[in-house]
Amino acid sequence: MDEILTVSVKDLRIKILSGEVKSVDAVKACYKRIKEVEPKVKAFLKLNEEQALKHAAASDKKIKSGVKCGILEGIPIAIKDNIMIKGESMTSASKYLENYVSPYDAAVIEKLKEAGAVFIGRTNMDEFAMGGSTETSAYQKTANPWDIERIPGGSSGGSAVAVSSAMAPFALGSDTGGSIRQPAGFTGIVGYKPSYGLISRYGVCALASSFDQIGSFSKNVYDTALLVSVIAGKDYRDPVCEPTEQTDYTAGLENPDTLKNLKIGIPKELSDYDTDGEILKSFEGVIKNLQLYGAEIVEISAPSYKYVPALYKVIMCAEVSANIATFDGIRYGYRSPNGISLNDEYAKSRSQSLGYEVKKRILFGTYVLGAKNYYRCYHQAQRVRTLLINDLNKALSECDFIFSPATLQMPVKFGEYLPEECDIFLIAANLGGFPGITVPCSFVKSHMPMGVHFMGKRFSDAKLFQAASAFERISGFDISKYPKI
Amino acid sequence: MSNYETVVGLEVHMQINTKSKVFCECSTEFGAEPNSNTCVICTSQPGAIPILNKKAVEAIIKTGLALNFTVNKQCTFARKQYFYPDVPKNYQITQSEPPLCSNGKLAIAVDGKEKVINLTRIHLEEDAGKLVHEIGSRKLDYSLLDLNRASVGLMELVTEPELSSPQEALEFLTELRTIVRYIGASECSMEEGKMRCDVNVSVRPNGQKDLGTRVEIKNMNSISGVRDAIAYETERQIEVLSRGGKLVQETRLWEAEEGITKSMRSKEGALDYRYFPEPDLVPFNLPDSFIEELRAQVPELPKARKARLIKECALSEYDADFLTSSKQIADYYEEAVNAAKNKELAAKPLANWISTELSGKLNASGKEISESPVSSKDLSKLVSLILDGTISGKIAKTVFEEMYEKSVDPESVIKEKGLVQISDESAIIKICEEAIGESTKAVAEFKAGKERAIGAIVGLVMKKSKGQANPQIVNKILIEKLKG
Repeated sequence: MDEILTVSVKDLRIKILSGEVKSVDAVKACYKRIKEVEPKVKAFLKLNEEQALKHAAASDKKIKSGVKCGILEGIPIAIKDNIMIKGESMTSASKYLENYVSPYDAAVIEKLKEAGAVFIGRTNMDEFAMGGSTETSAYQKTANPWDIERIPGGSSGGSAVAVSSAMAPFALGSDTGGSIRQPAGFTGIVGYKPSYGLISRYGVCALASSFDQIGSFSKNVYDTALLVSVIAGKDYRDPVCEPTEQTDYTAGLENPDTLKNLKIGIPKELSDYDTDGEILKSFEGVIKNLQLYGAEIVEISAPSYKYVPALYKVIMCAEVSANIATFDGIRYGYRSPNGISLNDEYAKSRSQSLGYEVKKRILFGTYVLGAKNYYRCYHQAQRVRTLLINDLNKALSECDFIFSPATLQMPVKFGEYLPEECDIFLIAANLGGFPGITVPCSFVKSHMPMGVHFMGKRFSDAKLFQAASAFERISGFDISKYPKI
Repeated sequence: MSNYETVVGLEVHMQINTKSKVFCECSTEFGAEPNSNTCVICTSQPGAIPILNKKAVEAIIKTGLALNFTVNKQCTFARKQYFYPDVPKNYQITQSEPPLCSNGKLAIAVDGKEKVINLTRIHLEEDAGKLVHEIGSRKLDYSLLDLNRASVGLMELVTEPELSSPQEALEFLTELRTIVRYIGASECSMEEGKMRCDVNVSVRPNGQKDLGTRVEIKNMNSISGVRDAIAYETERQIEVLSRGGKLVQETRLWEAEEGITKSMRSKEGALDYRYFPEPDLVPFNLPDSFIEELRAQVPELPKARKARLIKECALSEYDADFLTSSKQIADYYEEAVNAAKNKELAAKPLANWISTELSGKLNASGKEISESPVSSKDLSKLVSLILDGTISGKIAKTVFEEMYEKSVDPESVIKEKGLVQISDESAIIKICEEAIGESTKAVAEFKAGKERAIGAIVGLVMKKSKGQANPQIVNKILIEKLKG
């Protein structure tokens, strides 16, 4: 493998800006690797080599001429296929949007363009980000590079695999209920979901609007912090996006004393679930290690963790049923050629273009919002959501971070199902709007990676990076180790 | 007389008078090329997120304050879901409980007596687009969609079922429209669809407390239509009940040409809108200071203004009614009065000039008073010139013509045309003597006791002076000469 692909974005950036490595060569290295690996893992829905090389050449010229460069000038990045890039197709891995071309740039894309990043391709995902395996894509299934018979996780599985198999230095994904952090955990990389409202959702195809956030995949925490410094911040086009004073999220990452000052909360509820034995064993080792480096470990409790799967499903599906209603075949997207009346047109356009998982969620969401069920299901779920947020805020007042294994099970083989409580510690972050990051920690079970998850108070993202970075230094996980495929 | 009484409640939709739509920055201009005022947000494309237009909220609160509503400080939005091609999201964003304004009141005049109608609520919502099923005379086998109106801000005002005749509904809508226009919250032009009305009509035997079966008549677009539809529906319902029939709760349409209502759909299979909180628009609280700021911006309303004008300017009821029928006219009038040298004397003639000469000309050229070529200041000057005797009322009409045509001030017209009134007695005596000399017949008649004959001599004087002689002085001198 080309050496360029094994370095972090932090180092690659220095090499490119100093002229030691050309952006064109970095981009070429990505495509070379893609050509070797992509047929086996199928992480990309679309590649734009020609355009990317053109952009890279322009970046190189800019660097050479001494013109002021962007923060990510000439650095390749992969983008999940539910984020708008003007003039490019955006399918959300659905047949419905097969011919849809984005008329505008998402806010994060505008910022990345300004920073000079090079878009190398659109990554595969679960259809409209519905799923936890990247198996529900209307186009292809993405494989886990550590074992191609297994799922990479989802819904941002394509982006996870692009980074974990070194086809791209980093990638954007979206996280509604662990959709970044779960596949990052399954593929041995860093996955980050920001505080709700830190990064603009403008231009991201909505799944469940009150949970959705844009986040990142990278090889290490520093690279994530660097990317977040570029894409975070107030955007008037997303009313939930809040202004923050922080502009540089990479500050303080190298502090050797971070762990000595940390109080890390382990949820008591972890023992309520059927967790994979090896994950549990490994996690216990991690805790000992943290203590060894001076972190204080405390037990915390959030009794309403047990409601997480149910209340997430109710609220998420309710929002899905409304958000997907716009795809009716009338104004754009797939239109059935054989509708014979208005309602028939709707029904046929939707049944012919939307996948099973999407339909299932629409039906469920429609059910829980129905006049007869609203108070029993939806309203009740919103109340429990408040209960959970109160529980978690209380727990977070007793510690700096809630710490858990990223997932309670290892990735399953295609067609198999993970138990729904597998991701509860990830989903809890979405329900409360808390920031969360998964960091790889070790290999278990015939060399599959496993990750751990830090969740912090809302808008404590900068501090979260410092803790995750400190953990990364002591974990002993070799980030330059790539799957042999 | 009928043994039944009519019960009417109204739901009035008024397009909020903002330059941009309620959840995006698109223009709300009327009559633009179809689909030219659209963007990714109002066509609901992937990744679009609504952003609330603050001005729309302000307009509703001002309306609420003017109509004695309680303003609710909490502002939340919900999605109201139904599939229809002209609803791009397939749900409508509307304000959920509480509405921005609840429990208002509006007084109307019924047969010279005042009746207060209780108002339930005003809330904010977005409009849908428009389907075009036919163009010209050619029936299409497809429909066209114009989304220019989609996501334009609407305020929906709901009344209690307290109106009890077609005439009351007409009075109510007229009064409401005047007030809302005064505030500038909506243009309320029904022909442009900026005010639309759903009418709920039921009848019940006199004295019965419970409401009868209600029929909803949708999307009325003229005030007289509302009146006629209620009249028709009242008769129809009484007729059904009198012959022992039963009414069904349903939605009907008003067929203006035939003058009848027709069944559109029965209410039995009521739609389930599956309301739930709009996750993209975070609920927020309106600070008291914000509401107070808006309260200060609510202008004096037509009724109060009318009473004040009658008192301050000694106007007739009729004049005051006309002058306060729109804020623009009233503003114009008061500016003119305030500019006059002698406000007390000028008040009445200015009212006359505005209600007759000026509005006559404006109507003829289809202009609003805000587009008047004669400014309030210039009209005021004209009246002052009459009052101080510089020109006669008759000359003033000529001067006004010029002012209107050329948009110039009265002094320059008078100067250019040499129209100053002659009040110099010696000059007038000379003309009078000439005229007496030339009017032998009239002089003889006058001296024989026929006093009216003087009119002919006055006419001659005026003719000789090209209308510039002061008529009062002319009269005085002629009488002196003839009697003396």
